[in-house]
Formats: sequence, structure tokens, C-alpha cells
Amino acid sequence: MTELTLAQGRVDRDRLLRLLQEYGVYAGVAALLVFNFAFTDHFVSAENFRTQAVQVAPVLIVALGMALAIGTEGVDLSVGSVMALSTSLLSLYLGYGPWAAVLVPVAGGILIGLANGTLVAHLGVQPIVATLALMVAARGLALVLLPQLKDVRDPGMTALGSGDVLGVPYLVLIAVALALLVAFVVRRTTFGRQLLAIGDSRPAARLAGLPVRRVLIVVYACSGALAAVAGVLATARLTASDPTSLGTLMELSAITAVVVGGTPLSGGRVRIGGTVAGAVLIQLLTTTLVKHDLPPSWTQMAQAVVIVGAVYAARERGKR
Amino acid sequence: MKHTALLRRTSARTLLATGLLTSLVLTTGCTKSEDSSDSDKAAPQQGDSGQQVASPSAGSGPTCTIDAYGGEKLDLKSATVGFSQSEKEANPFRIAETASIEAEAKKRGVKLLTANAQSQFSKQISDVQDLIAKGADLLVIAPLNSDGWEPVLRTAAAKHIPIVTVDRKINATACKDYVSFIGSDFVEQGKRAADEMIEATGGKGDIAILLGSAGNNVTTERTKGFVDQIKAKAPGLKVVFQQTGEFAREKGQSVTENLIQSKPGIKGIYAENDEMGLGAVNALKGAGKKAGAVKIVTIDGTRNAVQGIVDGWISGVIESNPRFGPLAFQTLDTFTKGSEVAQDIVIKDSAYTEANAQSDLDKAY
Repeated sequence: MTELTLAQGRVDRDRLLRLLQEYGVYAGVAALLVFNFAFTDHFVSAENFRTQAVQVAPVLIVALGMALAIGTEGVDLSVGSVMALSTSLLSLYLGYGPWAAVLVPVAGGILIGLANGTLVAHLGVQPIVATLALMVAARGLALVLLPQLKDVRDPGMTALGSGDVLGVPYLVLIAVALALLVAFVVRRTTFGRQLLAIGDSRPAARLAGLPVRRVLIVVYACSGALAAVAGVLATARLTASDPTSLGTLMELSAITAVVVGGTPLSGGRVRIGGTVAGAVLIQLLTTTLVKHDLPPSWTQMAQAVVIVGAVYAARERGKR
Repeated sequence: MKHTALLRRTSARTLLATGLLTSLVLTTGCTKSEDSSDSDKAAPQQGDSGQQVASPSAGSGPTCTIDAYGGEKLDLKSATVGFSQSEKEANPFRIAETASIEAEAKKRGVKLLTANAQSQFSKQISDVQDLIAKGADLLVIAPLNSDGWEPVLRTAAAKHIPIVTVDRKINATACKDYVSFIGSDFVEQGKRAADEMIEATGGKGDIAILLGSAGNNVTTERTKGFVDQIKAKAPGLKVVFQQTGEFAREKGQSVTENLIQSKPGIKGIYAENDEMGLGAVNALKGAGKKAGAVKIVTIDGTRNAVQGIVDGWISGVIESNPRFGPLAFQTLDTFTKGSEVAQDIVIKDSAYTEANAQSDLDKAY
């Protein structure tokens, strides 16, 4: 009898934690929105929503790649440095025209991703170590290529950073399109299935004859490419290439968005909708504190609380 | 056998990846950036831009001589000077500072050894010890931190090596642990920024502060000077918003975007460095504001910010002069000849406003 109730209570708590993990992020976003509607002056305006969406776009794009890496039970710490490398390459190749200024940085991001993937898939290096190495290398390379901040005055780039279609900024359109694309890949393609299978259990995936190494390499290449796109967009918005500070701590924001969005660090699941909501949640949290002029250190502590909450909700849902 | 084949394939792929990375590095040889004509002002203008002393005026304040410090007189021309820079030369201030020291050493025909700590304090300590080991007779240090210099000071004291610190002070005894400090008065810079703000806004309305990085003495002193002066001189100005932009343009831009939406009536923005001020300009442009609608006052005196005054977006820039070369070498020269030098040398920073921005644009760094 007692045992039964205990077991019952355990199941209930499991279910509660699962609900919290799956839908907590949406509840968090809703709560912050309600708070801001009620207590923040001038929050409800098209201009404000536009600003928030534009600010969150680069973080979201990086988080999409991070979600794929985490889905394979990996992680990509090099994303912030890839953004820096991307901004350096953009500045250096802008003279060849706008296409070169976009494609060369993306190619650079893919190369860094391939290096990450090779280390992880072929040499068996732990993802956290492999991508840490490339994080240092890519930032270094970025600063060798462009040692100091440089203005970007190209009208095409300025338009990309601040232009819009029917009031929706290009940055937001691109971020939404990429989120839909990644969601489609994860849910509807063989590659997506293979990725999740590898995250669930790599030995099983190998025994089943899946191309484990190829999938891993492609995943890290995608993460690199997405980070590079985010770097290009951030540069266009800033109208300057700043390899010293662009993308610093971006890996932290991206991992937070993914984990808070309900993607378990143990791999095997990728929640793109949750990742979008996770990125929006962090943005709203920062904005709320800034708009109410609270001390900046509070933002960091608030972020820490959210991360701990998310990891707590996920902690009993590892692989069994 | 299968194992060997696998291994070979693995290393082949690794080689491929390495090759790809290398090619990335190599292809950067054929880069082509935009309009290299006017944006490449990396080469700092030197010219008439050496620093002038604001205080002490001759004969006031504590001084130091080589007899009091210990050590022997020497001829600066035949000496080796070691220069330890704190941060990577990635921002205009550090670029101009290092360039100024190097130019002055060249001008005077002094042998100069340089090291850069890349923002790591432990590296700066070993940098300075290396400089001493390599035979530096005199040291010019741009310290990253104020504290933690004991090991270096002990080594230097044992060899009676005179030390001049520039732009930041170290916590030690002048004329015992080091000779002199040469730098700006950051509180004064904040005060002068406040005066500019009062003039630009007419002394009435709501204003915001974009703070520098937390826990940095430059931030606290530039804030203190500004806030105190506003309180004393213009009670009509109210600081309604203080958020950090971490001395970076991107952060200055995002914070300002939020600021102008939540407080649309804001009259002025005080940015504690030029980069954040330029970020604020980006944000105002993005929000469709007109140049001059919100008054911006910044500190540093970089070329981009002074150009901002010419274009009408920025009201005033208080200079923080990074060209320590002439004054540092002059101090060392006087000191090593046996004459007395001041322990605290505060330099005079100029200011850029609408009146002189165009004509003085070339003085900006």
C-alpha cells in the first residue's frame, strides 16, 4: 500500500517534470510577456517587437546549429568564434561584392565545422574538447585576419542589416526560414532520423549500419555554417566587423536556449520549437531587466536561475 | 589488416580537413576589402599630438630623484627600454599608445623591447620579468591591473630598474616601488563630459548613461565624475537609465535600442567610451531619429567618434589621450640624468565639439 502510493507519487513527479521540461519554456515566455504588457511602458508597440525580434535573430540561428549538435549528444563550443571568423572574412572579401562577402564566411564556418566533425567522428575526441580547441583556433584566426574593428559601409550590407519586407526585417525572415528548414530536416528527413538515432545510442546506430561518422561531420558542418550566417547578419546590423568582441559568450546563450527549450543534453531528441522559444525567453529576460533599469549583474543571475531550472527539470530524463 | 586500412582512411580524412583549413588560411592572401582609401586609417596620425601636462605645474606635488629611488645615472640614448602593453592592440586607444611609444623610441634612437599581455595579468607579470631578463634598463608599463605587482617590483628593485607606469596606476609606493605615473584623470573626464551634456541639452530633461565594463576603475571614475557634476551644476537633468554597454559597440547598440523604446522622451546619452556611443548612433539611426535629436557625449577621441560630431550625430567627445611616448621618454630622460620628476603626472586631455571637430579631425586617433 505504502509502496504503491510512493510509486504513484514518483510517477506523478516524473510527469510533472516532463511537462515542465516540454512546456515550461512556453509558460516562461507567456509569463514574461504578461508581466511586460502590464508593467513596462511602451512595450506594446510594433517598433519594440521589431527590435526584440532583430536582437534575438543571430542567437536563434546559432542555437539551431547547437540543437543539432546537442541532439547527437555532442555540443559545439566554437560557435562564437566562428561568428568572429565570419565577420573577419566578410570584411576582407567585401571588395569582391556582396555574394563573396556572404559565401566566403559561410565556407569558413563550414570548414571549422568539418574540422570539429573530423575530430569528433574519426579521432574520437570528446565534442566538448574538440570544439573547445576550435573555439580558440577560430578566434585566433579571426584576429590574425582582422586585428581590429573595421567599419562596413557597403550599402548592400547596411540594407541586409536594417531593411525589411512589409515591415518584417530581413534578419527575422532569415532566422524564421532557417528555423523552419532545420525543423523540417529533423522531423522529415532520413538524415534527421539518423541524427536522433546516433544521439540516442551511438553503438546501436553503428550496429544498425547507420553512417555515424558522416552524419556527425555533417551536423558540425551545419552548426558552423549557421554560426557563420549569424556572424554575417550581426555584422550587417552593426555595420562594423569587430572580431574582438563579436560572438563572445554566444555558446552560452545558444546552449541555454536549446536546453531551456527542452532538448535533453543526453541526445536523441531535438526540439526546434522549444529552441526558438528558449532564445526568445532569454531575450525577453534581458530586455525586461534593461527596460526597468535594473543592475546588469541581475541579468546574468537571472539567466543562471533559468538554466538551473531547465537542467533540474531535465535531470531525471536521461537515458534509461 | 582491416584495422590498418581503417586507420589509413581515418588519417587521410584528417589530412583532408587539415588541408582544407590550411587552404582557408592561405586563400586569405587574395583578400579584397571595401574602400581601403578612407577607412584604413590604422596608421595613427602622430604630428603635433603629444601630450601636455595638466598637473602638477612646475614645482608642486611630490617629486622623485634617482638618488632617492636608488640606482645609477645613465644616458637614455645608450639604454634599453622595455615596454609592457596590457591589452591586444585591437582598439584605437591601444594601437595609438603602442605606436606612440615606438615612434618616440625610434626618434630618440633608444633600443626598445616590447611585450603584449593580451589581457592576461599573469602573462603581463612574466612579460615584465622577461623584459628585465632580456636586459631592459628602464621600464614603461601600461598595467592591466592595479594590484598584484609585488613579484615584479621585487625583481626590479633588486636591479634598481626605474619604472614609469602609463594610463593606469599600480597600488605601490611612488619613488620607492616605481618612479612616476603618467595618465589621465578619469573623474575629470566624466566632469567635462557632464559639462558638454549640460550645454548640449540646456540642462533640462532625462538622460541615460552607457556604463563601461563592471569592476573597472575607468568605469567607476568616469561615472562618478559625470554624476557628481550633473548633481552640482544641473539639477534639472535627471539620470533615469544606467546600463552597461561593456565598452563595445554591439552592446551599446542593443541597450540603446531598448532605451529609446522604453523612454522615448530621452534627451541625452552619455557613453563612457566612443565605441558604445557609435553603437547608440546606430540605434538612433535604426529607430528613424534625426541627427542631433538625442544628444550624445562620449569619451576617448577616436576618429570615428569625431567624424560623428562632424556628421551631427554626436555633440561632444572628451579626449583620453593615448600618446604617452614623448612624455614617458622625457620623464625617463630627466630622471636618469639625475634631475627630479613628478610622481603623479596628470595629462591634459582636449575635447572635440562642433566648433573644432572638422579642423581637428586629423588629431583624433
